[in-house]
Amino acid sequence: MRYEAEPITPQKAANLVRAIATRRDREAFKDLFNFYQPRIKTMLMRGGAADEIAEDLAQETLITVWRKADSYDPGKATVSAWLFTIARNLRIDRFRKDQRAQLHHVYELMLPAESAPPDAPFDAVQRESRVRAALDSLPEEQVRVVELSFFEGNAHGDIARKLGIPLGTVKSRLRLAMARLRSFLGENS
Amino acid sequence: MTITHHPGEETLAAFAAGTLDEPRSVVVAAHVALCPQCRATVATFEQFAGTLVERALPAAPRAGALEEALAQLDEATPPAPVIRQPEPDCPGVLAPYEVGRWRWIGPGVYWRKVEVPQSEGTRVFMLRAGPGSSLPHHGHSGVEWTCVLQGAFRHDLGRYGPGDFDEADNTVEHTPFVEEGDVCICLVAMQGDLELRGWLGRLLQPFVRL
Repeated sequence: MRYEAEPITPQKAANLVRAIATRRDREAFKDLFNFYQPRIKTMLMRGGAADEIAEDLAQETLITVWRKADSYDPGKATVSAWLFTIARNLRIDRFRKDQRAQLHHVYELMLPAESAPPDAPFDAVQRESRVRAALDSLPEEQVRVVELSFFEGNAHGDIARKLGIPLGTVKSRLRLAMARLRSFLGENS
Repeated sequence: MTITHHPGEETLAAFAAGTLDEPRSVVVAAHVALCPQCRATVATFEQFAGTLVERALPAAPRAGALEEALAQLDEATPPAPVIRQPEPDCPGVLAPYEVGRWRWIGPGVYWRKVEVPQSEGTRVFMLRAGPGSSLPHHGHSGVEWTCVLQGAFRHDLGRYGPGDFDEADNTVEHTPFVEEGDVCICLVAMQGDLELRGWLGRLLQPFVRL
């Protein structure tokens, strides 16, 4: 089935985005879409979006990639991180009560000018490999608590109820996961 | 600018994930805009989220989803919304929001509203206090997150200068005072009301329904 697309390496994903930017390559778009659209949909549904809305937002995320491909900077973020931020911003806008102001602009306005020196001592590709190594080293139960907490926005008490574990265990798993992430990324990241 | 007080990691993670409410996100963003270290941390959490997306089990797409998307690719891109310039003496991250006029709330202390939609009783405002002034000793009925934009204040937990971030909640009681020298301007997300202590506080309480 097509939504079980092959994994895309960070390098390949960056090449696909470049192919869209430089020659409006529709085949590259299809590859990105088949891999990322269903996974972004999963992420949005875990965050509480209904199937229909998650589908629309995931689709809009990929269409935004097509439109903004030429502004993608592989030194600042991998494609997966970039797509995540696009989906996050679309979701924020979608669930806003007041449509006048737009929080997602705040995420763009806080970034330094293009010409500013990089913030981190390593680039996006190095960051990705460190995050991947940290994630690989984390027990599944810690990853789950991190997902529930940060990415799905649950309070610690709700996580404890959902998983049927004590509140203290939720907190210690989060703390351990953070410490591991920190150890893989070093002090200044 | 030497920043010594940062938002907690959990706060930065929730901010990166987009699960923090809007008032608090705006104040965190004001700090992140001034702090390369926290920008790098946010980028790390964004990568963390991106890697989790890669590893997620794919949801079943709607039939014809790809064809629908392909059909939209050649449609004209909607024009990007125009963001105003921020008001004078406002940080750049406030550009999307209306900002009210400075209003006097006490000796040497002024307040202006920032029109970020409230979330669970949390609202955003800027506070401006003259050198040497102090706020009455107070507690909080909810969170009070502050990013210093200019000048510096001190309280029991240290000195807070430009870019510093103070994450107080209802367990904190303090008497912040502004250092001599520069006017201190802060961006604040506050939930509930300040709870003023002491005879001066009780006297001022009716006037500071911030």
